[in-house]
Amino acid sequence: MAVTLPPGPRTPWTPPRGDGSALRISRTPGRVGRTLLALALAVWFLLPLAPLGLWLFADRWSYPAALPEAWGLDGVRSALAQGAGPAFARSLGLGLAVSAVATPLGALAARALAYHRVPFPAAVNAVLFAPLALPAFAAAFGLNVLLLRLQVPPLAGVILILSVYALPYTTYTMRVAYGSHDLGFEEEARTLGATRWQVLARVHLPLLAPALARSAFLAFLIGWSDYLITLLVGGGAFITVPMLVASAASGTGNDSVVAVLSVTAVLPPLILLLGLGFFARKPPGGLS
Amino acid sequence: MSSGRRLPPWLMAAPAVLMASFVVLGGLLTAAAQSLGLLPLAGSPSLTLEAYTTVAPDLPSAVGLSLAIASASTIAASAVGFMAALIIVQGRWCGRVVAAVSTLTIPFPHIVGAASVGLLLSDSGVLSRLTGAGEAWPQLVGGPWWFAVIADYSWKESAFIALVVTGALITRSTGYDETAALLGAGRLRRLRHVLLPLSLPALTVSATIVFVYTFGSYEVAWLLGRPSPEPLPVMALRVFSSASLTSRPEAAALAVVTAIVSFGAAFAAFALLRRIPLWR
Repeated sequence: MAVTLPPGPRTPWTPPRGDGSALRISRTPGRVGRTLLALALAVWFLLPLAPLGLWLFADRWSYPAALPEAWGLDGVRSALAQGAGPAFARSLGLGLAVSAVATPLGALAARALAYHRVPFPAAVNAVLFAPLALPAFAAAFGLNVLLLRLQVPPLAGVILILSVYALPYTTYTMRVAYGSHDLGFEEEARTLGATRWQVLARVHLPLLAPALARSAFLAFLIGWSDYLITLLVGGGAFITVPMLVASAASGTGNDSVVAVLSVTAVLPPLILLLGLGFFARKPPGGLS
Repeated sequence: MSSGRRLPPWLMAAPAVLMASFVVLGGLLTAAAQSLGLLPLAGSPSLTLEAYTTVAPDLPSAVGLSLAIASASTIAASAVGFMAALIIVQGRWCGRVVAAVSTLTIPFPHIVGAASVGLLLSDSGVLSRLTGAGEAWPQLVGGPWWFAVIADYSWKESAFIALVVTGALITRSTGYDETAALLGAGRLRRLRHVLLPLSLPALTVSATIVFVYTFGSYEVAWLLGRPSPEPLPVMALRVFSSASLTSRPEAAALAVVTAIVSFGAAFAAFALLRRIPLWR
């Protein structure tokens, strides 16, 4: 790691004012600038979400009015009538299935790449990360034909393709985790007479639980939020929440339904994300 | 460590590699075969470039438009994401607020982001109502400059870039930054000689992922864009779902072209990455 210090004329060094951690504290103009920039960034990230909150319970909001004129649950009722309930269950199942496939496979591949001599490591890495560069519709066009000829059921095909799209994320997350994982713990347990399964269940998995949770979350997100693969490969019968959002948003006049469906599509991953933040802060259990 | 019962390493990686090969290679090769007339819906297979010559006249504008949308989105998302990462790494309450709100947008599905941006920016959208602009409101959704599409990608992907760059900076930047400050480097110099070089690998990787994704992504451009000219994925989907017998090979030809550009961009970025001294 080569980081060169800035060349050029030496500027006179002024001792930092205040307490010890004041080295990088900037003077007032910098602080004001940074606060404004932080506020601008907060608005940037939050502004696109504002319409969802406003439209969520808006029964009537005709055009020039600045705020909804009548609040109520018409949007929710309409969304339920469009099949939001079953779609929610399908999306949840799809996310969990993709997570259940891609997390262990990614972890296994990452462990092999981290600790062992895998034949053709460059090719293995290239194949595992190639889905990042493969446009979803391009994969779907070809695989539609292939899966049909191999007589794979559409839903299995969707789970297979989405799992492959999740593999770069799960493999990378677990590769980083194995990079800082100390194999000594496992060897120690083995020395003390633990079986392979005991090592896996009592040492390995607890130590890697936060990384596994992150990687499972990312894989869930791929399955939960997919639109195009489910649409093209799922055969049209498997309607998920993103598909309902797309069909509502492409029409006109049902903005509150769009908001309700959108919030439906956002809440589960958001809850998982909050849970993940809580979970990641806890020290890995089982080893106190 | 060397018990006979341990899984051999190639077997550990095999399921993931086999699945990925099936989807990536199987998908691409089948699409290529289809585009070359080897897998016709009806009739006997014959090797032909007809699908490519049919789509060729529309190709330059579609590729150009997709490249322009992807480039504009990537540049904007990288700039905003890098700034957000700098604020987050600085810590204090500013950093925590930006970290929280940028992470909040990560789990939003793209289609939901697009729907919400549409509700914000359209002619009858929330901003148009709040400003009371009425007829004077510019056509941002479905307009000539693809503003809503680029805004959506920039918004969504800036959070992703901020996340990745923060991850690269947070562990090591403070030490170098304080050392540079101790040696008398001002804010701009620390940015140029410490923070930028430290985040360059992560920035390159994440910007490449964003570029390739936005280039080949369908739903945002379909929902927030205008009917013509079409970006490559929107054109491909339209051709794919049209009813004629020749439509599938033509759609497959568009898929092959998109995949070639995507993988080309990824290879170029990887070549660039190897020249960055901090990369591994």
